[in-house]
Amino acid sequence: MDISVIIFYIISVVITGGALLAVTSKQIFRAAVYLIFSLLGVASMYFYLENNFIAAVQIVVYVGGIVVLIIFSIFLTQNSGHRLKKPDGKRVFFSALSVLSALLLTLNVIGNYNFKSNSNNTIEPEIKNIGMQMLSTTQYGYLLPFEVVSFLLLAAMIGCIVIALKRN
Amino acid sequence: MTLDFFRLMYPELSLILIIFTLLIIKIFDLFKQNQSLISFFNAIFNFYFASLLFSININSGELFNGMYISSSKFAFEKLILTSGTLLILLNSAVWLKNHKHLPEFYLLLVSSLLGMQYMISSGNFLMFYLGLELASIPLAALVNFDLEKKKSSEAAMKMILLSAFASGIMLFGISLIYGTSGSLDFDILQTSINANKLNIIALIFIFSGFAFKISAVPFHFWTADVYEGAPFAITAFLSTISKAVIVFVFISVLSPIFNNLQFLWSNLLLIIIPLTIFIANIFALRQRNIKRFIAFSSIAQAGYILLGLSSNNGLGFASSIFFVIIYLLSNIGFFAVVSAVSDSMGKEEIDDYKGFYKNNKKLSWALAISLFSLAGIPPTAGFFGKIFLITAGAATNHILLIAFVALNMVISLFYYLNIVKKVFVDSSQAPLADVKTGLSAKVSLIICLAGIIIIGLNGALLEYITKLINL
Repeated sequence: MDISVIIFYIISVVITGGALLAVTSKQIFRAAVYLIFSLLGVASMYFYLENNFIAAVQIVVYVGGIVVLIIFSIFLTQNSGHRLKKPDGKRVFFSALSVLSALLLTLNVIGNYNFKSNSNNTIEPEIKNIGMQMLSTTQYGYLLPFEVVSFLLLAAMIGCIVIALKRN
Repeated sequence: MTLDFFRLMYPELSLILIIFTLLIIKIFDLFKQNQSLISFFNAIFNFYFASLLFSININSGELFNGMYISSSKFAFEKLILTSGTLLILLNSAVWLKNHKHLPEFYLLLVSSLLGMQYMISSGNFLMFYLGLELASIPLAALVNFDLEKKKSSEAAMKMILLSAFASGIMLFGISLIYGTSGSLDFDILQTSINANKLNIIALIFIFSGFAFKISAVPFHFWTADVYEGAPFAITAFLSTISKAVIVFVFISVLSPIFNNLQFLWSNLLLIIIPLTIFIANIFALRQRNIKRFIAFSSIAQAGYILLGLSSNNGLGFASSIFFVIIYLLSNIGFFAVVSAVSDSMGKEEIDDYKGFYKNNKKLSWALAISLFSLAGIPPTAGFFGKIFLITAGAATNHILLIAFVALNMVISLFYYLNIVKKVFVDSSQAPLADVKTGLSAKVSLIICLAGIIIIGLNGALLEYITKLINL
């Protein structure tokens, strides 16, 4: 077996194993930590696919940002150290059923689709090129969305400030 | 290029300028009194509206390599959204006067409008999605603007969570499309999307996102709670402008791109339309609160609009846009009266309107005309709007559906006229006292009522829209 295939399967095991442990763990804080492993696995998958920029974004945004937020909110809520109650059988059954049907649907749809590699894309996914394209107005240039995002963030920030200020 | 940039993106650039002006006003606290800021902002916004009106026939073109598309159809749609926003702002001057965070209110509202305009003009799914988010995230903050009321916070929380979920589903659909065709540009997608399983699932996800935003059944659960908790101005905005923009986007974005999957989305519409209209009507019958009532009424009206879209031809699209304009005027007219009552007396129950005619003769007539138009009674414009929608829907040859929709119009007649009956016929020991309305609210109400009557009797508007659609 090729070494790169072995690496692929190791990464996959980390991703799915972390996700499974995050869902089944009885302590909510541990679940958040397992989630970090799963997300880091996704980041290493991006490294494996030689897309360094997206891997870096994955680490910065998900591992660094979102999981830290989740851990903060776990600490801010009460009973964060307690063990969760065991879910009742009916709920486990229906969750398992919906997960299983989603899995079958996904396998069926993805497996039957003949993906073709895109030959039109002539830009190498290097960080320098991505940065250039982000501020370019020509083909595959993303200047306009980049600027619109800044307005989205401005509006979201002002909305949050007004809501947070309301007690005074 | 530079000149084109200013000429074609003029509507959005002006809104960005307004946003910066408001930011400077807030930072340096330029207006000590709310009243002067209201007058200042209304003046700017009126000027912006007038400039849109006169530049409606600007040449069509593309910017940013097709990411931004401008045409006179899009300019007209932006004009409709802007005029609706203007009418709502005129209506809510009394509520705004006592608000602590007025510059922020205007800023968020203009941001939302900016997002809608980018969404209409988008030539790329990325721009489309960003516009959608820019339109809905500030709105969720605005829902919370009755800052003292707990219900308002609850409504904002519900809206932000559910709309994030709906956006997530839609984004998943968009990512599947990207996976199959390797592009997000609309002109490439038009040819590369075909009826394979992955694209079908993508369409279902994107369609669900749309159905959530227009609050069609079974994605309607957020509507009543959010409308009830939000301030009147925002309820009016949610029930008119944010629905209108989804209809426009459906026409100019979804229908050409998914033309190869037309069999699928028109069948989805055929399921959703009768469900939406029927369930909304049943729930509207038993509402006591006027905001919850208007929530279910607006769900039902969305069902009628979707009927026009299901035909997938120029006539259907034109009559949908035509009905959107009428619905906008009727609903805003209704809100003008209801929010005036709520601002001066705090009454929000339907039963409070018993004997309303006794002390408020003019407002009662205004309420009655708006409700007649919503119910579709001739000679108001609502009647003509619904006639055109049903004619367009009849082109799909689903006679049972049309009969069912027509039957439901009778149910809706009952609950609309029930309010009219309470206002004019029922007597009450303590009818509402004389409601004072400000000058701007009067102006807005008169424009709405004049629109409801004139648009119905004059066919020029529908002709103009048909011409734009067929360009």
